Amino acid sequence: MLKKAVLTLVTLAVMCGSAWAEKTIVFATDATWPPMEFVDADKNIVGYSIDFLTAAGKEVGFKPEFKNTAWDGIFAGLASGRYDSISSSVSITEERQKKMDFSEPYFVVQQALIVQKDSKAASLADLKGKKVGGQIGTTGYFAIKAAEGVEPKSYDEIGLAMEDLNVGRIAAVVCDDPVAANYALIKYKDTLKIAGVIKSDKPEYYGFPVKKGNKEVLDLINKGIEAVKAKGIDKELKNKWIGQ
Amino acid sequence: MAECDVKKIDVGDGAAIPEPGDRGMVSAWWIALLGTIGLLIALPLKDPSTYGRVLAFIPDGILVTFEVTILSISLALVIGLLTGLGRISKNRYINLVASLYVEVVRGVPLLVQLFYIYFALGRFVRVPDIMAAVIAMSFCYGAYMGEVFRAGIKSIDFGQSEAALSQGFNQAQTMRYVVLPQAWRTILPPVGNEFIALLKDTSLVSILAVSDILRRGREYAAESFNYFETYTMIALVYLLITLILSKIISIMEQRLSHYEKR
Repeated sequence: MLKKAVLTLVTLAVMCGSAWAEKTIVFATDATWPPMEFVDADKNIVGYSIDFLTAAGKEVGFKPEFKNTAWDGIFAGLASGRYDSISSSVSITEERQKKMDFSEPYFVVQQALIVQKDSKAASLADLKGKKVGGQIGTTGYFAIKAAEGVEPKSYDEIGLAMEDLNVGRIAAVVCDDPVAANYALIKYKDTLKIAGVIKSDKPEYYGFPVKKGNKEVLDLINKGIEAVKAKGIDKELKNKWIGQ
Repeated sequence: MAECDVKKIDVGDGAAIPEPGDRGMVSAWWIALLGTIGLLIALPLKDPSTYGRVLAFIPDGILVTFEVTILSISLALVIGLLTGLGRISKNRYINLVASLYVEVVRGVPLLVQLFYIYFALGRFVRVPDIMAAVIAMSFCYGAYMGEVFRAGIKSIDFGQSEAALSQGFNQAQTMRYVVLPQAWRTILPPVGNEFIALLKDTSLVSILAVSDILRRGREYAAESFNYFETYTMIALVYLLITLILSKIISIMEQRLSHYEKR
């Protein structure tokens, strides 16, 4: 009898324990996008969005887990349920919203044009007939494709495009401005510069996409974003990772 | 390295080349060909907004794939012949250089070689992307071809050379007029194999932002999210090309060996 009671108690305790435990949300991240998400010298995935989600998780009670995933195909993995969400500087676009549900915006970006230091080009219009690179399937690459007269070139990783610009195989690269700043002001500060920002009629925001209809995860992420913003943690993180 | 004196050389991972006597392979070839063509026509008709658009997106990629393949195989054949001759050369230094080349190239994965020639050497020499792809592919396949040539030349009985030499041919003439024409028959099947393997391996150059079939397909998929439709069509296009090539090679083989079976 006593044995049975103890067993029941233990079972109860275990069940309650698991109910109390934090929910783990798995985020796919293409960690080649400094300073938003990248792999540091100790092989950890770090960056603005990583810190953002860790803070959000602490506020509302979930544990983010990051899975390094190649960008090309990252949305296919979400659709097939290999992870719950994507934390990879995903801009919210109409086409993407048709296929996925997006969280509230957590960061605003612009598309920046990076050129070699001695280049006089200030916009895509100055680069007619030249090759301009971007990462495959990013809003930066879509902007290049939409521009008239330039020859778009798609890379698997933005770093490869920057290296090609650095050695002069292409005339410019278009990508999100925090990433552009990281490459043009830190890594290649002697050879590259930011020529300008590509004007767009609508502001561009990052969001965390989930599979269509995954309301449970979406609500939790949204609550987290709200809490982080309310506490002003996002501003601290901006200072930490992006500076000016 | 062990001596290899086999008459029949089989290397590479090219598509199966149907032999005329092999009934199973021949009918499998027809079924695969008709099925591929059927699907390539039926799928876009059934769903023009996805499959049809993939097909409309990739034709210039097919041209780039052919360009890279043909330039690479031509260069690889030249490098291969020189390497093969170098490997059987009695001159110790030529032999060493050729052997060293084969050892090094065969030990480094093609993908790493591609990255190396494009991004690592890009710091010093600025090779345009398609040229870099061709250099990397032919550099790699030249080593494999070298081994094919070497084995092919070795498969010709030494008596042939002896006879030619005693007739007053010099070394180069013996090679050119007596050994190579005969060796070619042994060499052709594996060269055909390597050719098809090379065509398939050109899909790796999409990593260098070369707009080949695969790159074009990936660009389309990244925009439309139609991954299944895109990769289905890409697989079918590659399959169609390699099926046709394997048939061409098998016909060439028959032509070359016509006087063998009387």
